[in-house]
Formats: sequence, C-alpha cells, structure tokens
Amino acid sequence: MQRTKNPIALGVIYAVLAIFMIYSILPFAWTISSSIKKPKDANARTPQFIFEPTGDNYAELWLDDDPSAFIPASFGIAAMMLLVVGAGFNAKRFPVPGSWVYIGIVLAIVLTVLTIPRFVNMADFYDFLINSVIVTVGVLAVSLTFGALAGYGLSRYRNILSVMILVVALAFRALPSMAFVLPFYYLGQWSGLYDTHILLILALVAINQPFTIWMLRSFFMDIPTAIEEAAMIDGASRAEAFFRVIVPIMWPGIITTGLFTLLLAYNDFLLARILTQTEASTMPVGISQWTGGEDPGHVTLAAAASVSVTLPMLVIIIFFQKYLIRGLASGAVKG
Amino acid sequence: MKRSTFFAFIGPSVLVMTALMIVPLISSLFLSFHYITFRSLDEPVWVGFRNYVEVMQDAEFWDSLIFTLIFIAVTVPARIFLGLVLALLLDQIVRFRGVFIAGALLPFVLTPVVGTLIFRDMFDRGGLYWWGIQQLFDYRMFFDTATVRSLLIFHTIWVATPFAMIVLFAGLQTVPQEALEAARVDGANWLRQLWHIVLPHLRSLFIFIGLISVMDSYRVFDSVFVLVQGNSNVDAETIMYYNFQVALSFGRLGKANAISVLTVIGIFIVLVPFLLLTYREQLRDA
Repeated sequence: MQRTKNPIALGVIYAVLAIFMIYSILPFAWTISSSIKKPKDANARTPQFIFEPTGDNYAELWLDDDPSAFIPASFGIAAMMLLVVGAGFNAKRFPVPGSWVYIGIVLAIVLTVLTIPRFVNMADFYDFLINSVIVTVGVLAVSLTFGALAGYGLSRYRNILSVMILVVALAFRALPSMAFVLPFYYLGQWSGLYDTHILLILALVAINQPFTIWMLRSFFMDIPTAIEEAAMIDGASRAEAFFRVIVPIMWPGIITTGLFTLLLAYNDFLLARILTQTEASTMPVGISQWTGGEDPGHVTLAAAASVSVTLPMLVIIIFFQKYLIRGLASGAVKG
Repeated sequence: MKRSTFFAFIGPSVLVMTALMIVPLISSLFLSFHYITFRSLDEPVWVGFRNYVEVMQDAEFWDSLIFTLIFIAVTVPARIFLGLVLALLLDQIVRFRGVFIAGALLPFVLTPVVGTLIFRDMFDRGGLYWWGIQQLFDYRMFFDTATVRSLLIFHTIWVATPFAMIVLFAGLQTVPQEALEAARVDGANWLRQLWHIVLPHLRSLFIFIGLISVMDSYRVFDSVFVLVQGNSNVDAETIMYYNFQVALSFGRLGKANAISVLTVIGIFIVLVPFLLLTYREQLRDA
C-alpha cells in the first residue's frame, strides 16, 4: 500500500514498532542479566538493576568441579567462539570455497565441545547438551534425506496417488503428537529402545516428515523439469540427474527446510520428556527440573541454562535469518 | 517419471510415516480399549469402551477441553489481528525493517520451555513486569488460576504473532498495485483500500494462518507444563496436559490413549473440509 509521508504518522509507526521489538526481546535480555546475578539479587523483592556480576551460575550449571578450574577454560572457549563467529561472517574472504569454511567451523566446534571433559569434570547439563546435539543432527540427517527424495518424487509424479499421499501427510501434520507418543512409549518399553537416542530420533523424524515433504516439494516444483531432462538426454539416469543436477541447485530449499527441522528437533520437549529418562534426555528436559521450584538458587540456574540453550540457536538463526524469513514468507506466497 | 522410479523416491519416507505414524495410531486405538498401568505393561486387559465412558464422566476432561477451546478462541484471532496491524506498520516503513523483523523473531525461535520460563519470571515476584504492575497499579500479582490462564494466553500471543506478521507482510508485497492505483483515482481512502482490496487479497493467508494456529493451539503443552506443574492450587490444564497427566502422573495408559483417540477425532472434524479442499486443489493441478 501507499506509504505515508506525514512525519507525525511515521514517528508513531516507528514508536509502535520499537515498543513491540522491546517487548519481544526484553524477557530474554532480563534473563541474561539474571544469569549473572547472585541468587540474593535475582530473588530480591524489587528488580535489581545495579548488581555485582558473577559467573557462578554458569559454573554451577556446567561444572562438577571447583569453579576456579573453569576460569582459564572459559576464556579459551570464549576466544574460540569469537574466532568461529568471526570466521563465519568472513567466510567469503578465505581462498577456499565457503562450504569448506563452514564445515571446518562445525568440526572445530564439535572437537572443542568433545575435548572439554578431558580437562574439567562436567555436570549433567553437559550430557544434556551432547544428547541434544546427537538427536538434532540425527533428525536433520534422516529427515532431510528422506524428505528430499520424497519431495522430489511427489513434485515430478503428479497423479491421484501422489495427491493422496500429500493429503494424508497433511492430516498427520495436524494430529497432536500425544497420539503417537504414547504408543511409542509403550513400544519403547516393550522393545528396550526406551531412553535411547534412536527412539527419540525416529519419533521426531516421523512427526516432522509430513511438513518436510510438503515444504521440499514446493521448492522442487520451482525447479523446471527441463533441467533434469537435459541431463537425462545426455545419458544420466534419474537418480544421477537428481543427485548431480537437482540437489546442487536445491541448497537454499534444503537449508530453509533444515532450519525448521532444526527448530523442531532442538526445541522439542513433549517427546523427549516422555521417551527418555536420563540417558538420552535433551536440554529442554534438563531445564524443566527447575520450572516448579521454590528454591531461590533455581531462578539463577534456570536463567543460566536458558541463555546456554538459546545462544547456539541464536548464532545459527542470525547466520541463516534470510532463509528462515523466506521460508515463513513462502507459506504466504504459495498459500 | 515412471511409477517404479516414483516408488523408489518416496519409499523411505512413506515407510517411515507408515511405521511411525499409522502403526502408532492403530496401536493407540488398540490400547484405548484396554486397562494398562505401568506395572501391567505386558498384560493389557480388554475393557471395551470403559475407558471412554470414564473419560466422558471425568469433570477434569471437560474442564481442560473448555479451557483449550477458550484458549483457541482468544489466541487465534488475537495473533492474526496483531500480526496484521504490525505487518501494515512494517509495510509503511523502509529503514530498520530488518532490525524489527529480527527482533520480533526472537520469541518465535526460543525453545518453548525456555520462553515460558523467562516469560513467567518477568511476572513472578521481583520480576520486571511484576514490579512495573505493582508500581503502576499498586497490584501485587500472584499465580492463581486466572493469572496463570491469562499468562498462558499472553505467552502464546507473544510467541505466535511474529509468524502471522511475517506471513502477512509477505502477502502485502503481492497486493496488485494497479487495483490500489485505480481505487485511489476513484477517491478511496486508506481504510477503504484496506477493506476492499488488501483484506480480500489476503483472505487465503488468513485461512492458512488460522488453520495452523488452531492446530498448534489445540496441542499446546510445553508452556502449560512450565506454568502448571508443581502448582497444585492452579487449574489451567489444557487437553494435551490433561492427557499427559493421565498417562504419566496417574499411570493410566489405556485411559490416556482413549483421550488421544478422542482428540484425534476432534481435530479431524475441524480439518476434514480443508483436507477435501486441498485434495481437490492438488488434483486439479496434477
């Protein structure tokens, strides 16, 4: 619609949007401040805006050890993270392909995280982190592989059978996960898979599959069939054409779908709560132990845990923000 | 594409969905006709429709269902309306648009458990909002049933509005400019342009957002868990939370599966027209 030129109206618009943005980020900003408060300050009857910061909450959350042992390590980790984020933003300036830089960054992070326990004793929350990473990566790998194959098939083979599969998948998308998870619980107990990563990964893949195939299919439909037909005339089989020609130009679609899958798997609470006990519990389940407590130490611990859970996701979202927004908006354009 | 190639491509996905969705659904139906507890997992006892009768006579079931319906009736229109207002405002500006969108996305990407926790702490004693309300209205908030219910609704609107905003904002960019131009020439003011051209253009998006919102509100669980668990004097269970309680707190797996089956039937009654519509649309394009 036509934009207003009235400066007062514009001022009001900016003010409203600014208030909305503050409203959106204020709780998290406040949590960051709580996470570096002493329990005494965080539980005070009036909010403490000026306080003496402390790292004890993070130390208690992550360490099973004397906090002083963590100080040199934490500086190391902070430096490492800065380096990694810096490298990520400047990926295009390296004399090697960008994807190599990203893979190198991911490997460096994984190696760092895995070597930390050699130097310091880590608390339970570290295990929750590792479980979250295993489950999220597992779900991403399986879900996107299966989803891309099916999405491609459904975009190219258009008849009543493929339409029926799509509609059934849409119906599954609508069902409450409770309807699946109780039988999973039952079958898990029965087969001995209860409290393993595999069961949780399978359950999340299943819940996510309908959405994945719909979204990837819509991206594949944007790719003209002439592209793979040209490759097939040159003698490539359908599978070769798919992997050599289609997948390389599909990366934006796969990244977008992957982001939503990542959010689903990383954020999931219900399935992880029911299908795991201790061995495979993810971070949201770990945090839930501090939700109902009256213990004053819980507020600061929960704040430190909240920030710890959110930061990795924020870094990823900031990197891939445009894909996320495009994915949300594509629902708009395609309906 | 040949039929056999098609099967090869969709095979893994269909296999996963059959094994991990259709089979559990059928077992859910099977289990709902049995009496099972955690101690008797290996020996379900056939009880016919007794679980269903018990659910129907359970006042807590109706309580949670009614609260879920209120929750849907309030949050779905609220997020669409707020999303539309914000999208219209975003459409008016050029500078800082990306910053506003990025800020609005934060509640959307937060882990729901974390998001509810930090939202609650703002309203808890000594929290920033708690303090603000006390200073402004001289009212000391405490977590009773009405407060927790409103917090649940508030929290959901906080999380879900950005989604509606971004979808509607993208939709606004596709409004045909010629139609707006023509309306302007005919002397239609901003409000009339909005009512007669923009809103009809966004109609399918309202349905899209509405449908997704209804499905997501119907199965709201994480935030209820955070706000209700361990708070025995608060009565703000939604249907999913009640289902969870029956299964894990009371250990009645059979009855819990009966509730699942009922909720599945419930959502299907709402959904069938849209499924049929999609089916016809896709078939026409195929």
